[in-house]
Amino acid sequence: MRPGFSQNNRLIIFRVFLILTFCMLLFRYAYVQLIQQDIYYRQSERNRIRPITLVPPRGIVRDRYEEILVDNVPGYSIYIIPNELTSADSVFDSLGQLIGRSPDQLRKVYKRDRRGRFQKVKICRYIDFASLAQIEENKLDLPGIVYGIEPRRSYPAGVKAPHLFGYLGEIDEKGLQSEEFAEYERGDIIGKAGIERVYDKILQGEKGYQIVEVDAMGREIGVLDQLQSQDPVPGLELHLSIDAGLQRFLEQKMDTLRGGAAVLNCQNGEVVALVSKPGYSPDLFARPITQEAWAKLTRDPAKPLYDRMVQSGTNPGSTYKLITAIAGLQENLINPDEKVYCPGVYRLGRRLFKCWKEAGHGSVNLQQAIEQSCNVYFYRMVQKIGLENWAKYSRLFHFGEKTGIDLTQEYSGSVPDKAYFDERYGVGKWSRGLLLNLTVGQGELLVTPLQMATFALLIANRGEGFRPHVNRLIKNPETGEVTLFEPQPLCVNGIREAVWDKVHQGMYDVVNGVHGTAKRANPRRMGMKVAGKTGTAQNPHGDDHAWFIGFAPFDNPKVAFCFFVENGGGGGAVAAPIAGSMLRYLLREKKIKPN
Amino acid sequence: MLWDREELKRPDFVLLFAFVGLLLTGLLIIYSATHGANAEIRNNFPKQAVWIVSGVLLLAFLSLLPFKFFHEAAVPFYIFSIILLVAVLVIGDGTGVKRWLVVGPLRLQPSELAKIATLLLLAKYASEGKRDFKQIKNISVAFFLVLLPTLLIIKQPDLGTALVFMAMILPVLFWAGLSLFIVFLLIAPLITLASAFNFYSFFTTIILIVSVMVASGRGAKIIIPNFLLNIGVGIVTPMLWNQLHGYQKSRILTFIGLEQDPRGLGYQVLQSKVAIGSGGLWGKGWLQGTQTHLRFLPEQHTDFIFSVLGEEFGFIGVCFVLGLFFILLWRALNIAQTSKNKFSSLIVIGACTIIAFHVCVNTGMTVGIMPVTGLPLPFLSYGGSSLLTNIVLIGLIINAGRRRFQYL
Repeated sequence: MRPGFSQNNRLIIFRVFLILTFCMLLFRYAYVQLIQQDIYYRQSERNRIRPITLVPPRGIVRDRYEEILVDNVPGYSIYIIPNELTSADSVFDSLGQLIGRSPDQLRKVYKRDRRGRFQKVKICRYIDFASLAQIEENKLDLPGIVYGIEPRRSYPAGVKAPHLFGYLGEIDEKGLQSEEFAEYERGDIIGKAGIERVYDKILQGEKGYQIVEVDAMGREIGVLDQLQSQDPVPGLELHLSIDAGLQRFLEQKMDTLRGGAAVLNCQNGEVVALVSKPGYSPDLFARPITQEAWAKLTRDPAKPLYDRMVQSGTNPGSTYKLITAIAGLQENLINPDEKVYCPGVYRLGRRLFKCWKEAGHGSVNLQQAIEQSCNVYFYRMVQKIGLENWAKYSRLFHFGEKTGIDLTQEYSGSVPDKAYFDERYGVGKWSRGLLLNLTVGQGELLVTPLQMATFALLIANRGEGFRPHVNRLIKNPETGEVTLFEPQPLCVNGIREAVWDKVHQGMYDVVNGVHGTAKRANPRRMGMKVAGKTGTAQNPHGDDHAWFIGFAPFDNPKVAFCFFVENGGGGGAVAAPIAGSMLRYLLREKKIKPN
Repeated sequence: MLWDREELKRPDFVLLFAFVGLLLTGLLIIYSATHGANAEIRNNFPKQAVWIVSGVLLLAFLSLLPFKFFHEAAVPFYIFSIILLVAVLVIGDGTGVKRWLVVGPLRLQPSELAKIATLLLLAKYASEGKRDFKQIKNISVAFFLVLLPTLLIIKQPDLGTALVFMAMILPVLFWAGLSLFIVFLLIAPLITLASAFNFYSFFTTIILIVSVMVASGRGAKIIIPNFLLNIGVGIVTPMLWNQLHGYQKSRILTFIGLEQDPRGLGYQVLQSKVAIGSGGLWGKGWLQGTQTHLRFLPEQHTDFIFSVLGEEFGFIGVCFVLGLFFILLWRALNIAQTSKNKFSSLIVIGACTIIAFHVCVNTGMTVGIMPVTGLPLPFLSYGGSSLLTNIVLIGLIINAGRRRFQYL
């Protein structure tokens, strides 16, 4: 020991150290407990009381006669409590085996959604009851695995209209950030397509909250303050304008076909039936879809996933001749009584354009040309009218724009005009032959079958149409309060009555005339009169597409419709008979009066 | 001699009162921390009471033993505890972390025993003859005595307890005569270690250390090896860092504030801070702590017992308990000062360091200024092993005080 640095000095150093250490601790505690007390006190209140979200039952969907189309049934979801997950690898492996999912996928979901040690992670939604039973049996080998009940959608009516109903799913990252879903939280279930998507806010209801006391494990100890709780508001009922009976009838009728049907109520634009085939069971998407099922759906060359009626465009064939007829009459470019001789072929420059009837129709006037769907007549007439008028009238009848139906991903179709061809082929580099193709509904003209049904409705109502819609009314199941859907007019103005008369007469003859192409659309029941127009769209990839549009009863139209069969063949032979049997069904069920 | 009462002074009653006060406060809080829980945890309160009673009996017995006994028992006791530390690594109980040795109904924590054994042996070694702590050999031997159990405990792994061993060596050697300059030389590598992850801070630290060495007027013989040592530490540290267990890394990172994870490790500290902070000046009252009652606090009757105190008794309660600790340590330093016996005096300094280190790290941890190392709070935390160890330390201090005029 050096002199001058005695044991006493060492003791002083220890004492100073001791005092400094305790001062540091006291200062820290004073800071936390006295200065930051408010912050931590609030946190401690939040810690102890936690708002629990109460998810309301999603609104059910009914048809126009209140039959339940989309309902809720209990589904079983699997959760993991991270804190209790002791042997993660073996748990994921055996769980994956039990519910038929790859363990890696489960691991990925778990990793992505894990929020905290005590917060449950939803790992799999809607497992079937058998798997649940197996999980419960093997509970001891699956530490940290629990299940919860969560309602899922079911479709009790036997209506297989997946494109119409759409499906539900967890809100995705993009949705969470969008303005529209501002009040939604991660993990919330929202409609992804169809009416579930369009009417999500109505079906969803309002979430409720309950202030509960929880422990660190997240276990609820009890409801803390009943006054601060807010009950969930159940989703509202959506009553569709769909007639489940008719829908089932048509689905069955067209089950083996590719194509679809749209039946509209002429009085307000209600969609009474909307069929797109092939489809798939809507149940497939009401639970997590297996990989095989998904692969099967996506690889199917018949493309069952997309809605042929609303989401895709195609050539309308001869049904579109009506546009040329209306344009010509309205613009006074066609004299309806003028006869055109049809030798079965039409020459334009060096090109030959055939009529569908090789023997030719002989001399036909407008009415006859519609009745027999004579191409040569329209080839001649459309040249008098010109591309610009043709495009103008196409637009006037709302082709090339969405009908505005309350469904998702509607296609607008495409109406080519001069500017379009100039851009596509170069100014002056395209021939007038393109116009000849357009008049018979071929070429660059694309329409959706729903547009064709709307077109039929516009003709039936002499221009006083409506936008098609599936929402009939929204009903509050608790109060019984009803909000009727307000039909949106969709009109064609300024067409003279005489023009409508001529077109109606032509369409009447299509079904009732001696040479009519759609005689099989006539129900031959109770004297009901039908008018329509067939179409047979040529298709470079295969057989022709069959079309039939029309309305009934002729004198006082109640329904307008469009039937479309991909690669079906002739419109008169394939599509028109479906219209006939549909009308017989409606008469038999007394859903429509014959006049 | 055991029955030689003539030489005995009255025990330090102020220290004893502080000690008893801490024990009783501990019981009070353990009751609160466990009373709402399941039966297994509720049982900890009577168990702790039994531990305290046996601990007090042990204390009475220890204060009767002459210090010569500890002096002679030091070596065999040390060897015994090293054997136990090796044994726990081989046959220890626990998955992954091996800290417990099961003997019949007892669960022993050999590292607790090793604390006392190492302290005894270190004190014995430092007090023998006129040991000169200017010699590197003597310092090295002292360090080896401590490092051996330390490394075995790091292997368990129990970082917190290992740090306790490292903490006691410098104060004991300093009390035994180690010069301040050597203390500086020994601490310097630690500062280098902390600065080694950034080149510029490392560079600055080395400059400062060399400056102090030069200013002290020491020759190149001392300066150059120490310079090289610090450079070496700076290079090796980042390499060793990568060898650490993931949880050890994240504990350290959370401590320095480089990692924030309110749901993981930081969760414990956050919840603890919420409990303490919400207590305010007067606290929420005994058994009224919402954080405690709703079991948001992690390990609230063991490592985080101080958060319960902070929540239920507020800043007043914190001051009270820290005050008791302060009095206890202050009086113990008095004993170290007045003791004429170098061995017992060194033991008191070592015991003080161990207790002070626990108090500082544990109470610091609950308010987030110390890492979560799993060190219990002496006398208050639930747990037999740690309680008995601390009672033995108190016994040694009191015993030293009673015999402060005895020479060996």
